Amino acid sequence: MSVEVPVKTAGMTQPLDTAAPSRDAHPVAMQVKGLNFYYGTSHALHDISLDFPERSVTGMIGPSGCGKSTLLRVLNRMYDLYPGQRATGEVIFDRQNILNAGVDLNVLRSRIGMVFQKPTPFPMSIYDNIAFGIRLHERVSRSEMDGRVEDALRRVALWPEVQDRLSASATALSGGQQQRLCIARTIAVRPEVILLDEPTSALDPVSTARIEELLDELKTEFTIAIVTHNMQQAARCADQVAFFYMGRLIEVDSTARMFTTPREQQTQDYITGRFG
Amino acid sequence: MEIPARQSLPAMKKAPSQQGGQKGDPAFRLLVTATGVGVLVVLGAIIAVMVTGGWKAFATFGPGFLVSAVWNPVTQHFGAAAPVFGTVVSSALALIVAVPLAFGTAFWLTALAPPAAAAVIGMAVQLLAAVPSIIFGMWGFFVVVPVVAHYVQPAARQFLGHVPGLSALVAGAPFGTGLFTAALILAVMITPSITAVMRDVFLSMPAVLRESGYGLGATRWEVMRHVVLPWSRQGVVGGIVLGMGRAMGETMAVTFVIGDSNHIGWSLFAPANTIASLIALEFPESPAGSLKLASLMALGAILMAISFVTLWFSRWLLARGEQAAGR
Repeated sequence: MSVEVPVKTAGMTQPLDTAAPSRDAHPVAMQVKGLNFYYGTSHALHDISLDFPERSVTGMIGPSGCGKSTLLRVLNRMYDLYPGQRATGEVIFDRQNILNAGVDLNVLRSRIGMVFQKPTPFPMSIYDNIAFGIRLHERVSRSEMDGRVEDALRRVALWPEVQDRLSASATALSGGQQQRLCIARTIAVRPEVILLDEPTSALDPVSTARIEELLDELKTEFTIAIVTHNMQQAARCADQVAFFYMGRLIEVDSTARMFTTPREQQTQDYITGRFG
Repeated sequence: MEIPARQSLPAMKKAPSQQGGQKGDPAFRLLVTATGVGVLVVLGAIIAVMVTGGWKAFATFGPGFLVSAVWNPVTQHFGAAAPVFGTVVSSALALIVAVPLAFGTAFWLTALAPPAAAAVIGMAVQLLAAVPSIIFGMWGFFVVVPVVAHYVQPAARQFLGHVPGLSALVAGAPFGTGLFTAALILAVMITPSITAVMRDVFLSMPAVLRESGYGLGATRWEVMRHVVLPWSRQGVVGGIVLGMGRAMGETMAVTFVIGDSNHIGWSLFAPANTIASLIALEFPESPAGSLKLASLMALGAILMAISFVTLWFSRWLLARGEQAAGR
């Protein structure tokens, strides 16, 4: 049976140029420039500019309400679901400003996946949870689908635990397993960027450790942006860390420098636990 | 250790009110138990009255009561088949019209409508659900019946009258009253309540689950079809059963427009009767102790039985669905 070519780039006004300089020393997968965001009349993000280097983990930290989750929801245009929320500025991805009106959001979101704070398995079987996303964008044969599902589950180390009950409901899994399933579901669509919004805040320490290990492996292939409240998690997982406060990006630097010699006093205060 | 510690707690000061609480507790328990048991007693009493009241009909006609379409007070022959047919067909037709309408409205209200429009129309749906059925009856009689008589049935006959197999569906004189009109009125009546239930269950789904669907690049329809609907299946079926129950039991509006004829036929436009409309029309002319009154009571028992079977069937469907989903 023939396998159709993935239709991911369909609808993007500028198709991927394979000659693009993506093998630079520090290629940037996604670039936020002068971004402002509004919930109705409330100005939630002020003039944010931030680069997300390819195949590395960008940690986003800051006290509750500082705008880090809001930024994440701009990066896949999730805010578009809610009238009254709007963004100005630029988010350059694949040489295109994804904030433009003509962007195909379904294609965009297949290229920029998202994992949420709470595990969100769909009310269907484990197998279908993975296959669902693939079926949305590609037409694959049964045997290839089986392979893709197994591969995704192996990548998140869930395969040994669920291989005998793929047709069982996903909602019966434990919280940590559900979250790994959600990550598997996201990578099964073969995105380029993965956004994680406090992915371990609802999990126990063991499950958290497994997900953090997983991030280390995933970053060899995907560009990762993770919002976290856990400073140790940012220190362990991230290659660069961005600190947000009151809707502004205060400082961004390599993880080592952020946690040892931050330039800003506010950053220093936050990471040492003096506020927030 | 524990007892002295408790005695030293300030909670001890509340002892008098706690005493009151301990006395009040059994009383309250008795009260709510009584209301719970009361439900069972009322249900049992209704069933008992219907069955004993209708017993004379069942005893006289035997199982033939269920399959006979005769309703002749002169010869004292009564059968349930015609009104049962009318009830089932008019309700089924009403659901065929109402469920897609209600689903579409609820989908639009929850996924696509601008918030201001959703608020206004959501309110209008609730108001429409609260319109008394006599209003629908009058509207049906003065507006829908003439429209069906002058436009709908002639047009239907023009298009389908010569199609073999379908011509029977549109046969008969264009009275305007009949199964089709009754089903139309019922559909208008039950659509708002089904819509309201569907909208509420769609809205009760956690937003993050919906966002997970969109996050994979699903369209609004794909999220509705594969995430929202499976999640809210129970509520959706519940809403449909609620609407069906209302359609089967609806009396006033149907009595106005169904045409009062105990007749079973293919034509959608033929006058008919439902159980409820027949009872409403014949009850005043049924003396106590008569076979006719017993037959009407027996019809009431059958209507209840149909409702129970419907409810049980929907539960069974749901349970089977849950099993299929591996739960």
